[in-house]
Amino acid sequence: MVTIAEPVRKQPVSRFRFILDRRDVLGALFVAPAILYVFLLVGVPFLLAVYYSISAYTIYDPSWRFVGLSNFEQVIQNPVFLDTLGNTFLFTFGSQLLGLILGKFGALLLLRPFPGRKIVRALIILPWAVPIALASVAWEWMFDSLYSVINWTLIALGVIDRSNAPNWLGNPHLAMLCVIVVNAWRFFPFAIVVFLAGITSVPQDIIDAATVDGAGFWRRNYQIILPMILPIVAIGLIFGIVFTFTDLSVVYLLTNGGPVNATSVLGFEGFQVGIVSGDVSHGAAISLFMLPVLFLVVIGMLRFIRRREI
Amino acid sequence: MRTRKLARVTRRRFLKQTGFTLIAAGTAPLISAPFVSRALADAKTLSIVQWSHFVPAYDKWFDKFARDWGEKNQIGVTVDHIPVQDVAARAAAEASAQAGHDLFGWNGAGGAHLYRKFLVDVTSLVESVEQKYGKITVIGRQIGYNQDDHSWSAFPDYYINFPVMYRKSLWDGIGMQPDSWDNIRIGGAKLKAKGNPVGISLGHSNDPNTTWRGLLWSYGGAVQDEAGKHVVLNSKESVEAVKFVAALYKEAMTPDVLSWSDASNNQYIDSGVSSLIINPISAYRTAQQLNKKVADDIFVMKPPKGPVRQIMGAAAEFYGIWKFAKNQDAAKDFLKYYADNWVEAFKASSGYNMPIFANIVPKPMPLLSDDPTSTPHDKLAVLQTSDEWSAAPGYPGPSWPATDEVYNDFIICDMMAKGATGVSAEDSVKWATQQCEAIFKKWQHRA
Repeated sequence: MVTIAEPVRKQPVSRFRFILDRRDVLGALFVAPAILYVFLLVGVPFLLAVYYSISAYTIYDPSWRFVGLSNFEQVIQNPVFLDTLGNTFLFTFGSQLLGLILGKFGALLLLRPFPGRKIVRALIILPWAVPIALASVAWEWMFDSLYSVINWTLIALGVIDRSNAPNWLGNPHLAMLCVIVVNAWRFFPFAIVVFLAGITSVPQDIIDAATVDGAGFWRRNYQIILPMILPIVAIGLIFGIVFTFTDLSVVYLLTNGGPVNATSVLGFEGFQVGIVSGDVSHGAAISLFMLPVLFLVVIGMLRFIRRREI
Repeated sequence: MRTRKLARVTRRRFLKQTGFTLIAAGTAPLISAPFVSRALADAKTLSIVQWSHFVPAYDKWFDKFARDWGEKNQIGVTVDHIPVQDVAARAAAEASAQAGHDLFGWNGAGGAHLYRKFLVDVTSLVESVEQKYGKITVIGRQIGYNQDDHSWSAFPDYYINFPVMYRKSLWDGIGMQPDSWDNIRIGGAKLKAKGNPVGISLGHSNDPNTTWRGLLWSYGGAVQDEAGKHVVLNSKESVEAVKFVAALYKEAMTPDVLSWSDASNNQYIDSGVSSLIINPISAYRTAQQLNKKVADDIFVMKPPKGPVRQIMGAAAEFYGIWKFAKNQDAAKDFLKYYADNWVEAFKASSGYNMPIFANIVPKPMPLLSDDPTSTPHDKLAVLQTSDEWSAAPGYPGPSWPATDEVYNDFIICDMMAKGATGVSAEDSVKWATQQCEAIFKKWQHRA
């Protein structure tokens, strides 16, 4: 007699299990915390800034009174604000350009095998990882008018004398150069990582073919590798521009906007007016000037990336 | 041999386990909250936040003083010290969150009048201390006092004065006394030639904000009128003040001063380079620790005389009790007890914290009249009269949000710095006046 196995009785399965098996539901579930995070930490403060910028809200009188665009009008009429806007562009694009150049050369150097390369790769991330408050103290001493180690070295080497030593943070042009250099120093490890990721993703056979065809170092780098990695570099640049344009830490810690507002940037100005002086509505209006600029930059760069994508 | 097999992590298992963990973590505070909040309600607490004092010994004294008071009254006291530059941002954060410390200690400009609607009225407390310890000085009344309704929105704690600190041997060597602005320029030029320039910052920080206001006032100029209604900066007196700073900068100082922070002038005189600075006595106290020889040569005098008056800016310190503070009564009781022991606070600050109430530190004041660490012992005696020559940023009017913003934007420093670096005095004053008028116009519509 043939014994037929009893059919296995199916356990009742909850509907919930099936919902979780759906990729679209599970995907949305996993992305939700990130969206919530961005909404709470970016979206809500942004909406609050818009709300404050069209009101007469101050810490002295924390009541909401609609004033339209008059805060923006008053801010634009201030010549110091226009200087600040110019400084912000100079600070952002200057430090990004310098950071990119340093990043490109850093990446090329780190691609070559040499003893201790792994340690150097780890160390090169330090400027990015060190808290800016700590790094600024070190830079402040390097640029200090009385104890500058840079000046001390130049004097010791006989390049300059004490009376002609550069007044790094006291001369308006040098002070701007200093904040640009410090910010580029912060940014360049990130640029190195971006360039390294890009360069290593270029197929070796393309580089080999170019070499066989007689392309030298510069042609390989600037006519073959660079155009291929431009989309990834552009993404890195977007990050750099957005973070630098909205940053106030280097200026706040190193120059406090001086001398005579020569290094004041939008983030710093917004903080001084809105938080320190308690004029929240004007502070918000100053900060919101960053928005259209960043919006245009990001849109432009994303369009560029889309066109360049292979 | 038994091998331990790791169970495969499936999507379902991952979701199940993380879900349970999140639920457990999320519900734990909910379940324990009633017990915790009851326990917290039973234990009284008082939280205080204030700047990290330039005299670290004062912070140590204050922390112990507050803790001892708490133990006596069964109140758990916590004192947080934050860097002075973080005070404004911290206050804004606590006010907007409607949560934070019970007692907030402000330093410098801003605070009492700006946060008035967030602070408990302490008029009765201030008046009771005034009855006990004498009249509030002029600078004291510029801090936390509301002229419109004669109320106090903060308890005025102390002010920090800015006397002249000079190297006696150097000035004796040229046969001069730095007792007037003109003498500082003339003598400073001679001493600069010998390698000992005058060191007054023209950068963006508190010291120049305070010092250059003193110079402006001593020349008869001011940002606002006595009522605090109009900007009066555009005057012949202000132009003369800027012309003087330009001359002082060229003849007696070095371009270094354009980038200085608050610590720079201290380092300048303590290192033995500078012949004169204008600063609180922290510079002298640091020199006593670092360079005794230089410290013995540093002497202190009243601010320099100007063509119109002898006056100097000062930094004001005050305590506010938030309206959202959970222990307002404890905060008031603490301030009352603190006022009763203010002489000890004065001593702990080595004479840095200057009294607001006329008799709270009876004259001759300890340390200042007879400082065993100084040679001669009465070197600091002149500071006992600093209430006569110190004023808050709003002088001759009240301090209010507009004068605070003028202060926070370094407009007076920049006016002087522009004049010093080549912009004409007239244009510098005109620029600063436009800036001040825009700020006043804005706040007059809002305050």
